[in-house]
Amino acid sequence: MKVWANEEEKNRQLPLAHFFYSVPGMGKRSMEKLLSVYGSFEEAYRAKGEHLQGILGEKRAYSIENHKKESNPWNTYENLRKKGISFVCRLDREYPEKLKDIPDAPFGLFVKGRLPKENKKSVAIVGARRCSQYGEHMALSLGRELALAGVPVISGMAKGIDGIGQEAAVNAGGAAFAVLGCGVDVCYPASNRELYEKIQKQGGILSEYLPGTEPRPELFPPRNRIISGLSDIVIVVEARQKSGSLITVDMALEQGREIYCVPGRATDKLSEGCNKLIEQGAGIVLSVEDFLEKSGVLLPKGSAAIGQECGKGQLESLSEKEIALWKLLDFEPISIEQLHIQLCTKKGMGQITLQETMELLMGLMLKNKAENITGCYYSKKE
Amino acid sequence: MYSNVCTGALQGIYAYLVQTEVDAAGGLPGLEMVGCPAGEVREARERVKVALKNAGVDLPPLKITVNLSPADVRKDGTGFDLPIAVGILCALERLPQRVTENTLFLGELGLDGEIRPVKGVLPIVREAAARGIKRCIVPAANAKEGGVVQGIEVIGAENLPLLLEYLQANKERQKELIPPTIVSPEELLGDANISKEYDFANIVGQEFVKRGAQVAAAGFHNMLIVGPPGTGKTMVGKSIAGILPPMTLKESLEVSGIYSVRGMLDENQTLITERPVIQPHHTVSAQALAGGGRIPKPGLVSLAHRGVLFLDEFPEFPRTILDILRQPLEEKQVVVSRAYGSYRFPADFMLVAAMNPCPCGHYPDLNKCTCTESEVHRYLGHVSGPILDRIDICVEAPEVNIHALSSSGRGISSEEMRERVKLARSLQERRFQGTAYHFNSQILAGDMQKYCAIGLQEEQMLEKLLSRGGFSVRAYHRILKVARTVADLDGSEKIEQKHLSEAVCYRLADEKYWKRGKGA
Repeated sequence: MKVWANEEEKNRQLPLAHFFYSVPGMGKRSMEKLLSVYGSFEEAYRAKGEHLQGILGEKRAYSIENHKKESNPWNTYENLRKKGISFVCRLDREYPEKLKDIPDAPFGLFVKGRLPKENKKSVAIVGARRCSQYGEHMALSLGRELALAGVPVISGMAKGIDGIGQEAAVNAGGAAFAVLGCGVDVCYPASNRELYEKIQKQGGILSEYLPGTEPRPELFPPRNRIISGLSDIVIVVEARQKSGSLITVDMALEQGREIYCVPGRATDKLSEGCNKLIEQGAGIVLSVEDFLEKSGVLLPKGSAAIGQECGKGQLESLSEKEIALWKLLDFEPISIEQLHIQLCTKKGMGQITLQETMELLMGLMLKNKAENITGCYYSKKE
Repeated sequence: MYSNVCTGALQGIYAYLVQTEVDAAGGLPGLEMVGCPAGEVREARERVKVALKNAGVDLPPLKITVNLSPADVRKDGTGFDLPIAVGILCALERLPQRVTENTLFLGELGLDGEIRPVKGVLPIVREAAARGIKRCIVPAANAKEGGVVQGIEVIGAENLPLLLEYLQANKERQKELIPPTIVSPEELLGDANISKEYDFANIVGQEFVKRGAQVAAAGFHNMLIVGPPGTGKTMVGKSIAGILPPMTLKESLEVSGIYSVRGMLDENQTLITERPVIQPHHTVSAQALAGGGRIPKPGLVSLAHRGVLFLDEFPEFPRTILDILRQPLEEKQVVVSRAYGSYRFPADFMLVAAMNPCPCGHYPDLNKCTCTESEVHRYLGHVSGPILDRIDICVEAPEVNIHALSSSGRGISSEEMRERVKLARSLQERRFQGTAYHFNSQILAGDMQKYCAIGLQEEQMLEKLLSRGGFSVRAYHRILKVARTVADLDGSEKIEQKHLSEAVCYRLADEKYWKRGKGA
């Protein structure tokens, strides 16, 4: 395929490329066929219905004819631009270089916001929708530190790991790019509205589907190839044995991307997928800095080191009993009852009533050292 | 001849007195009945005629007219048989009119002249006593129920011949024939034995939930228990009644009145002395729950009056059923309206609900929980916000491991918990003297400052905790009320930081679960 030579040609061709892309039933194959026969979309647009029929078959030619009657390519493209959405196709110089190499690269992409910068390293953070405290913590620190290092975070803006990683990145002032399984103007999941707006400002929302496309289950797996395609490294934070994140990993491997996994405990079902990948040879994230170092993403000097244990100084504001309780807390949620029992068996604690444990726990919450997960379960906060 | 006999009837759970007027005069022989009688009252005509015949009374061929006054209120029930029979006898001058003076008659007649039990004896006798009536003649089977009422002579009559003999005898002979039934309600209340079947000592672990239950019982706070299957939620729910403060005589009479109307009192149980625990199944109908029927009768929420309404598997109840609870939870009563009038049924109960955290029951253990976010959302969505708003204490029961089951001994027992609750109750009694309140849970927003005042330091702490926990403002008052009860359990007049801390712990489950459900 020959890339458009200059701006002028692009301006002429792009509305027509968009026109053909929006015809129902037009896939990547048909688009390529059109180009190979006519050379450009302009020529294809001028072509007669009968001629098109010979190339694309009756059904598609009929769709194109219909679409021609219904809409004006230049007006529709103008309307799209007014909504803040741009269309990038393979013939465009702006089309991401990284995507060009991947198998089954999308023919076009809709973008709300901007595209990732070409020469920059980017990292995808993917993982389970329903994640644990530990996963949340890891996704958050990875997202934040990558942003501080100036690395854009690519993901699917889904609930759980995806969204948490991207949110941490944009909150730290970094860039994030979300590849959706629906139209770029549809915020899915709706609860990520705030994140959706932020990503548009600090990065971009991308999708190969037409604007207005509602999310459907079958649309999600294919978008994963774009997530991995756009990034150099894919980090899996938490994944079950059968997980959508593993589809992303498969595609990433096919595309020759590096895979890193956050390890988990042997008993955690949520880490089974990750541990398995590590066994198969994926990189291991020993700590956030470890990853930054290994992957060659360097922290600019002076930025805060992360993953460090809460320093002694920070614990000074706590009473002795509070420290004892804090040490019992973990990322894994633990119930008040268990905390109470363990606290009682600790040496030198004397007799502690359940009420006292509750008071201590609330004290830790006040000092932002503990977090309530649900009802009676609490986890550590640093 | 004309005669007049006093009897009583029910409207909802409230009783009113009815005058049974009988006139016997020449004319076409027959028995005519007027005064808005319902079907079963109309049938009294046949029952009375046959019962009198079998009691050895021959009716002369006269035109007998019976009127039930007030004549514009529809009358139901079978209790009119006896007063009609007595009225006829007086009208025929077989009995002197003076036997009906200051006396209320109530009872159903069998064809053999037997006097059979009726519903609602307790409220009717109470009403009679309040209206200055000196003697009540009720079916023998209901005598003890009526005998609970003080300041009125209650006579339990077994059959018509015996009653006729009694009415014609002199005072001394009367006492020999049918001695008045006297029951001491104080004695009954004193005997109230707490069921040993459900004791908190049998629940292993779950000290947090037990403590929550104790606080709930002490302040009559509504409570929700969330937890995976097999963690003892149901046992906690059923054991709560055993640690509630004992009923006062006034409360007991109130509750017994409701049970009397439903015909649920008998010779063995003449007074409800323990706080009732009502546990409807989740297939319960709206009428059964709230009360209803063509002639409205109190429903389950009223049977749980002054006691516990325990809803196990809370989200399995259809939302329409749960929303019925909104009125009783707010107004402490249910109003059932019919074309011919509205009925008010008291329903001041403590709601105890138990539920799983998600459809599979294992959340937050992500190793076991297989539910998707939307499944959980839908499940939790069955419990509507307005209902949650009325639940003060929401605790989570963590999974118990087998190790703990086998190793740890018996936990705190109901007996011990009850003693603490009594203390908290007495503090509340003193605090609310001369007000309409009984328990901390009832304090209205306007009186919060008066009863739940906290110091500046405590207020700052609470505010900080509230903002940390992402609480809504509505949680604020409820935390204060619960903290009030926690302080009472401690015997402390001042609400301290530790009391507030504990109260906040009881709100976290609610806030977390339902916010999570909203997908924020």
